[in-house]
Amino acid sequence: MRKISQWFLVAGLVCTFGFVVSARAQEEAKQFPVASKTLKNGMKVLVQSDHSIPNVALYIFYRIGSRNEHPGTTGLSHFFEHMMFNGAKKYGPGELDKVMEANGGENNAYTTQNTTVYQDWFPRSALPLIFDIEADRIQYLQFDPKKIASEREVVASERRLRTDNDNGGLLDEQLWATAFVAHPYQWPVVGWMSDIEHWTMEDLKHHFEMGYSPNNATMVVVGDVTSEEIFQLCEKYIEPIPTHAPPPPVTTVEPDQLGERRLVVRKPAELPLLEIGYHVPQTNNPDFYALNVLQTVLVHGESSRMYQRLVDKDQIALNVGMGADTAFDPTLLVVNAQPKQSVDPVSCEKAIYEELDKAKTTLISDQELEKAKNIRLVQFYQQMRTISGRANTIGTYEVFFGDYTRLFDAAKNYSAVTKEDVQRVAKKYFGANNRTVATLIPDNEEKANQ
Amino acid sequence: MRTIKTACKVVGLLGLATALAAASVAQTLKLPPHEKVVLKNGLTLLLMEKHGVPIVSFYAVVKAGSAAEPADQAGLAGITAGLLRKGTEKRTAQQFATDLDFIGASFGADSDFDYTAVSAEFLTKDVDRGLDLFSDALLHANFPQAEVDKLLAQSVDGVKAAKDQADAVIFSYYNGYLYGTHPYARPGGDELSLKKIQRAAVLKFYQTNFVPSNTILAVAGEFNAAELKKKLEEAFGSWPGKPSPVVNIPPPTPVKGKRLLLVDKPDATQTYFAIGNIGITANDPDRVAIRVVNTAFGGTFASILNTALRIDSGYTYGANSFFQNEKAAGPFAIYSFTKSETTVPAIDLALKVLEDLHKNGLTAAQLDTAKKYIKGQFPPQIETSGQLASRIVISEFYGLDDNEINQLEERIGAVTLESAKQIIEKRFPRDNMVFVLIGKASEIGPAVKKYAEKQDERKISEPGFWPPPSK
Repeated sequence: MRKISQWFLVAGLVCTFGFVVSARAQEEAKQFPVASKTLKNGMKVLVQSDHSIPNVALYIFYRIGSRNEHPGTTGLSHFFEHMMFNGAKKYGPGELDKVMEANGGENNAYTTQNTTVYQDWFPRSALPLIFDIEADRIQYLQFDPKKIASEREVVASERRLRTDNDNGGLLDEQLWATAFVAHPYQWPVVGWMSDIEHWTMEDLKHHFEMGYSPNNATMVVVGDVTSEEIFQLCEKYIEPIPTHAPPPPVTTVEPDQLGERRLVVRKPAELPLLEIGYHVPQTNNPDFYALNVLQTVLVHGESSRMYQRLVDKDQIALNVGMGADTAFDPTLLVVNAQPKQSVDPVSCEKAIYEELDKAKTTLISDQELEKAKNIRLVQFYQQMRTISGRANTIGTYEVFFGDYTRLFDAAKNYSAVTKEDVQRVAKKYFGANNRTVATLIPDNEEKANQ
Repeated sequence: MRTIKTACKVVGLLGLATALAAASVAQTLKLPPHEKVVLKNGLTLLLMEKHGVPIVSFYAVVKAGSAAEPADQAGLAGITAGLLRKGTEKRTAQQFATDLDFIGASFGADSDFDYTAVSAEFLTKDVDRGLDLFSDALLHANFPQAEVDKLLAQSVDGVKAAKDQADAVIFSYYNGYLYGTHPYARPGGDELSLKKIQRAAVLKFYQTNFVPSNTILAVAGEFNAAELKKKLEEAFGSWPGKPSPVVNIPPPTPVKGKRLLLVDKPDATQTYFAIGNIGITANDPDRVAIRVVNTAFGGTFASILNTALRIDSGYTYGANSFFQNEKAAGPFAIYSFTKSETTVPAIDLALKVLEDLHKNGLTAAQLDTAKKYIKGQFPPQIETSGQLASRIVISEFYGLDDNEINQLEERIGAVTLESAKQIIEKRFPRDNMVFVLIGKASEIGPAVKKYAEKQDERKISEPGFWPPPSK
């Protein structure tokens, strides 16, 4: 299904893992050369030519997401993402999708806590049309009250799909709301239902003005194009768009967590659920690489420590995972497990803590370290082998690490990670005081009484 | 779960930019060349070099899926697939996992209606180790009792976990309700059928079906085909030949009249619904025309269905329709969801757009858009070695050929408003259909009775999907 704003997470994308020598890094950079230009209005444009298929992936990353919202207007960035498909000046309501499809193209978008990303996939023949559409909607978005009313319902349906009728989504929302007391990461990207129902036209207009300035965006184009033609199209369609002030900086800093927090969600369910969130630094922190190696050792594949322990040996969980979103501000690394039926989530919790403690008290093995680096190399090629994967990866590095070339430093940075680094980050971030524990407990009595 | 597929390649796209006269454009979609070899033991090998990224993708199809299971062993094919990596003659499950993960490789095995797919992906430099792992699982699985017990227990709980999410199970109910006693009713099994499966049945299913003449293996990616062929012959040449089993899948009978199954999920605030009937086979002579018409009706964001149910009315986050093409006729369904209060208006609207499709057919613009959309969005579907390997193997399995891609544009171009009209009349349901709804029965039950003369109801917490287990 489309226009599926994946407001939950883009995680995984940047979680590529370590590798050996810096010669490899240079090789990777050479294999995927990128041309870069900053337009006069401040928008940075990155182009990577690849003529193996006659198609193009064009991604625009706006540095605005739910962290730029406030109580009462939560979910506005995501709602806005939806409105960007609902009509501007030249392409009126419903026309954007119609015209794009009639020219063989399609589009989507996703919103996170940090960014709103628009994606176009199309045959090269549609290139000028796509620029015309993008320029139109950045400058001349319509705010039709009827359209807004109907789109509110669409977003409410999306929220029911992914949160209210999805136990994992529901528990995750509660986890973030509990782990953060000050910083905006505490509210859901989709927004609280009551905010979805109540934000006003003024809220919307203000948000548009704040977030959608060209100097707040990065465009990435990958596929059957040349950088010259893309820069020319940008000069014609994008460069004339005036610049204005980007969103004000988010100054709230989440205070240190000084003790374990616990929460319980009780509702009708077949099985319980468990999530444990630990505060970790933002993506561009140097500990990123060691944390990813640790994460690989703990949960990647059936040879991983936690799979072996919880799923295979103790047989108390159906699966166990771990991940962090790419983030501008300190965020959460979340461990999740699906306990088996009649298993008390507490026993999963205990096994998870024991595995984390092992990583704190003893070094991981040479073989585990090498495995993590091998996995990172394969993931690099897996995400770089499609034009859309490359557009997303290049843009993610540019936005979250401040420079797309950091993508090609990743190999070097992972190869620098030592077993001692992994132990150090395990000790630093996986303390009891730093965690928030969320469990969903099936409450089927309640159901009968309803 | 299968490994993630992506990737592809399309050759020769000269001047598509300027040649906008789409209908008269020369053939531009083309499958890269590949080689087919049949070994003495009957194994079919397909090899396709695809350079640019140092990855090799393996994709094998064993011609036995859920439809080949004994009727009381639903889920057997999936369990057999899941156990392939859980112990072989030379590796324990843990050793297999350790060897696989060390090279960053992925491995997947799962069953579908008609076949079991086994796939793997790894870097070109690791091809020897990857091939050893892949062939070890496919040829030498030995199904340790402890692993059988473990996977069965996990799978039973997996069904329960899925039931906590209506959209994860609606098609298990739908297929059961639509197909009744036909083998396509039960892909995957349920909490009760999985409990009945014994190791002996798994072993028998494996020994009968996992034989070379019943298997097609495609390998695509960065390698030298001549060299790799030798390695494949070495790895698979000694696989003992045996007669292929015969799987007879009877043609399913479309539902007559209207029937409705309401699955009660008391905590649901949204109703999930699927509406349709038996669809088409994978090699149906009208398959391309059907694809074009369905693309316009419910296959894209701006499709007729999504425009009505989402864009114009705001009833839902999404509505679509699909034909699932199988060896025997697979299901056709319209699928959407909406808050409990708008269940009836949303279903009414879905039925109205279906009725309008029958009355009015497509407009010239809708037909043209569907054609351009399919063509324009096709190249990224054959962009990676994994996508290519699975595509050529599945094509071979269904007895289709490269013209499925190489003549796609021509075949799409041949669809006219008139032929579309006939397709709609013949292939899209109008008076005969099933409705499957998951939602809060106490709120929506009385109102949805109007859709069908025959109604059934189950609680989602009751084990099984459909039909209800016999006591």
